[in-house]
Amino acid sequence: MATCPGCALLCDDIDVIVENNRIKETRNACRRGAARMKGCFNRLAPSIAQKPVDIESAIRKAAEILKVAKSPMLFGFSNSTCEAQVKGIQLAKKLGAIIDDTSSFCQGLLIETIFQEKFRTCMLEDVRNKADVLVYWGSDAQDSEPRHLSRFSYFPRGESRQRGYEEDRIAVAIDVRESNTAKICKGHFYRIQPKGDREFILALTDALSGKVPAYEPKKILELAAILKKAEFGVIFAGIGLTYSIKEDMEILVALADKLSNFHIMPMVGHYNMRGFNENLFKETGFVNRVKFEGKAVQHSPAEVLDTPSRGVTLVHDDKYSIVEALRNESIDALLVAGSDPLSSLPRSLVRHLASIPVICIDPCVTMTSKITAVTIPCAVSGVESGGTAVRMDGKKIELSKIIESDYPTDEELLTRLMEAL
Amino acid sequence: MGLDVGKFMKNPEYEIKIITYRDIFQVEALERDRFGKDYEKLSAFIGMSKNDMAKMGLKSGDRVKVANNNGSIVVEVRESRRDEPGGVAFMVNSPWSNVLVSDDMGGKGIPEFKNITAKISLVKEEITSLESLMEYFRKLKQV
Ligand code: SF4
Repeated sequence: MATCPGCALLCDDIDVIVENNRIKETRNACRRGAARMKGCFNRLAPSIAQKPVDIESAIRKAAEILKVAKSPMLFGFSNSTCEAQVKGIQLAKKLGAIIDDTSSFCQGLLIETIFQEKFRTCMLEDVRNKADVLVYWGSDAQDSEPRHLSRFSYFPRGESRQRGYEEDRIAVAIDVRESNTAKICKGHFYRIQPKGDREFILALTDALSGKVPAYEPKKILELAAILKKAEFGVIFAGIGLTYSIKEDMEILVALADKLSNFHIMPMVGHYNMRGFNENLFKETGFVNRVKFEGKAVQHSPAEVLDTPSRGVTLVHDDKYSIVEALRNESIDALLVAGSDPLSSLPRSLVRHLASIPVICIDPCVTMTSKITAVTIPCAVSGVESGGTAVRMDGKKIELSKIIESDYPTDEELLTRLMEAL
Repeated sequence: MGLDVGKFMKNPEYEIKIITYRDIFQVEALERDRFGKDYEKLSAFIGMSKNDMAKMGLKSGDRVKVANNNGSIVVEVRESRRDEPGGVAFMVNSPWSNVLVSDDMGGKGIPEFKNITAKISLVKEEITSLESLMEYFRKLKQV
């Protein structure tokens, strides 16, 4: 049995058929997972200024760039193992660099709220065994974490849910479009207007407090009645919801307070984004957007915290998010590990990438790698190398090394980079 | 009675709201080969409700220019398979949709990936290729 690094469900029931050190077939994996495990078509090769070199030279050049930079930034890490993430954090410390990951423009705020224990949360095994009301909010699990409904939430039999979806479970979708997940939640799809989540949350909170909601009262009261009856409810919060309410996380906390039998779980796409958030939180008390300065750690938004035990000062500021750093053109070198900002960020923002040296560590050729100063190929974690990762609910999962590879792991590369410094 | 200016223009422009979403088949294509034809086909299109398309005189397979202050792309328009109420168009999250996303996020670090306003009009130009999106960056590098 192998573990799939395709998304943060980290399915650990995958059978693989290996032929000539290649994954020929996967069993149990979804399309996304199978494609990840079989590997990409274009493997990355080491290069400097887009000219081929050996890995050692590429590492040396990367070290040189980072060493002379006045304001370097490390970014990515959501597709890296926990071991590599810890190395990345050490590297940022050593360089006095900014470090941020994709959660910064994804689920970071929600995950931070969970780490701060403002929400009740639970494990996916609890969902399988006990959950009777499942709310997919701004989340199309069927397309993003494709085995979520079949392995854990709606379809399986569970200890107290013997009759699964036919009788024992209700799935609800709240979304701006009738997603594939919403289609499964037959009769319980609540369509909201773009950016309408806030209004919907407030109306639902009113309904749960016995007031008549100001907005679509009939539908909201009907949904409130379903939620109230839940014995073990879960809100699977997707990026649709997080993008819509952003820093207004408190209204979701207030709603959760009204739902004493409910748990909140972040829906996470990248396989180890939550791992990065955990590792950085352990080290600094923040999940992303951190700047190390000498012995001090700065974070966003502006807030100073003394942690004398570690002898560090933490300063909070949003300007350390990848997005603001690029917009303000405040960084002069960027190391990207396992991410493709050129593809995933607004184009209006990534212009600055063209004017600074970028170092790209990735198993595959990406849009970003095609314009970077240095490329360093690594092994595909969870396929060509093992390690650990954190599932979307916080459970640590071992990754499997399935096939042999000559490519160094990202952990190894970051260690070598540190040595070269 | 006011003049319907749109009637006399060759290719009228309409303002639309675009919501982005994820699609498993596109994600699969991305994993395999982000520079491949499949990924482009599954990304470079805009889905609209039947009603909206009729209102704008568009039919499935037409090429449209979708543009705003942030950038401009040419994609294929396809009728949404769902019975959508209209008023909103849909694009799969991709480098194409990201051309249209604003960099103004009030200093909070989260762009409006899922809430785009743009103008749409029928065109004859070729669909924007990933290579041409890359070309944009290469040119920036040379400046
Ligand atoms: S649901 Fe996620 S972890 Fe499971 S097989 Fe699919 S991609 Fe892999």
